[in-house]
Amino acid sequence: MRTLVLILLLSAAANAQAPAPRRDLSGVWGMQAARETSADDKQSPGGEIPPLTVWAKARYDLQKPGYGKRAAPGGNDPILQCDPMGFPRILYFPTPFEFAQISNRVLQMFERDHVVREIWTDGRALPADPDPLWYGYSAGKWVDDTTFVVESTGYDDRTWLGAAGFPHSESMHLEERYQRVDRDTINFTLTINDPQAYTKPWIALPRVLKLRPRAEIRQGYCVASEENAFTKRIREPGALKAGKSSKR
Amino acid sequence: MSRLALLVTLIAGSVFAHHGNTAYDETARVRIKGTVTEFIWTNPHSQIYLDVKDRSGKIVHWGVETNSPGILTRAGWTRRALKAGDEITIILCPAKNGQPVAYAGSGDPGTKVIFADGRELDFTDKTVDKTGDKTAP
Repeated sequence: MRTLVLILLLSAAANAQAPAPRRDLSGVWGMQAARETSADDKQSPGGEIPPLTVWAKARYDLQKPGYGKRAAPGGNDPILQCDPMGFPRILYFPTPFEFAQISNRVLQMFERDHVVREIWTDGRALPADPDPLWYGYSAGKWVDDTTFVVESTGYDDRTWLGAAGFPHSESMHLEERYQRVDRDTINFTLTINDPQAYTKPWIALPRVLKLRPRAEIRQGYCVASEENAFTKRIREPGALKAGKSSKR
Repeated sequence: MSRLALLVTLIAGSVFAHHGNTAYDETARVRIKGTVTEFIWTNPHSQIYLDVKDRSGKIVHWGVETNSPGILTRAGWTRRALKAGDEITIILCPAKNGQPVAYAGSGDPGTKVIFADGRELDFTDKTVDKTGDKTAP
């Protein structure tokens, strides 16, 4: 009997998740795959997309995705010519990212374009009239020992909220919550407030981030000259109407 | 499409989404065999080019889109994984329009490269541990 109890205790200990460290997100993280809400909904916050304002609908109609059901040759998705992907789209791109913490900032380091997003943790307020930036202006704080909340604004409105071409304005305000529930797991939520573009807040699909100790962040620069060569050799022949011959 | 039909081995057709292009038929898995002419290790799309002999003996030059070096590295590839002259088979998703371009990569499970000696290179992330992480695109 004593042996059985010991075995049960040992087994429970082996299965228990290691606890989250206090106020620490350091490490490489990968977003777990989530069911896409539609085939069109790539690199996107997901969840229910709120009604678009007239301003946003006009922009949406001008945005010609390279992917999904509205895709057509000659698309104007910024990433097809290696323009910055922007935030939050880069977070949903299917490569891991790394958190590093330094004295006055949490750094979020992405593989795509080797982007470093700075999240200020020195208590500063967001600027009232920020310059629009590809990756915005962000300030974060710990609301308890395992939950880091980031507020951000000042996003350049040329970036898309995903491959389907949903727009945002320069006054978009984001609230991200990273709750590290154990050593290996962060529960992530995001709320997009952008009254110029959406009539209600956009509540992103909750996601799970998993610690990826064996993954490293590479220098994944998108190089326009290389992307253009790829487009000529593979993307354009693939986009020809059936029956036409390739010029290659 | 007839050119393809000669070469084709269709494998199970479940639909997996990837971040790529609607140009490809992601419900299809087609097997082509040929000689590598070029392996391009670039962002954001690496590329495999190969010469494939169709049933009439004519050489068809294929271009295959695959993942970034980052994703490929985590799947166990290196920039030297393929070289000109290698005889390989690729299981891929062909272009819907019948052009000899295709996708093989992490977005479409089942796609892979098979060498003449039977060795295989696939696109699953080898750095994912047993905690249940599924960071495949």
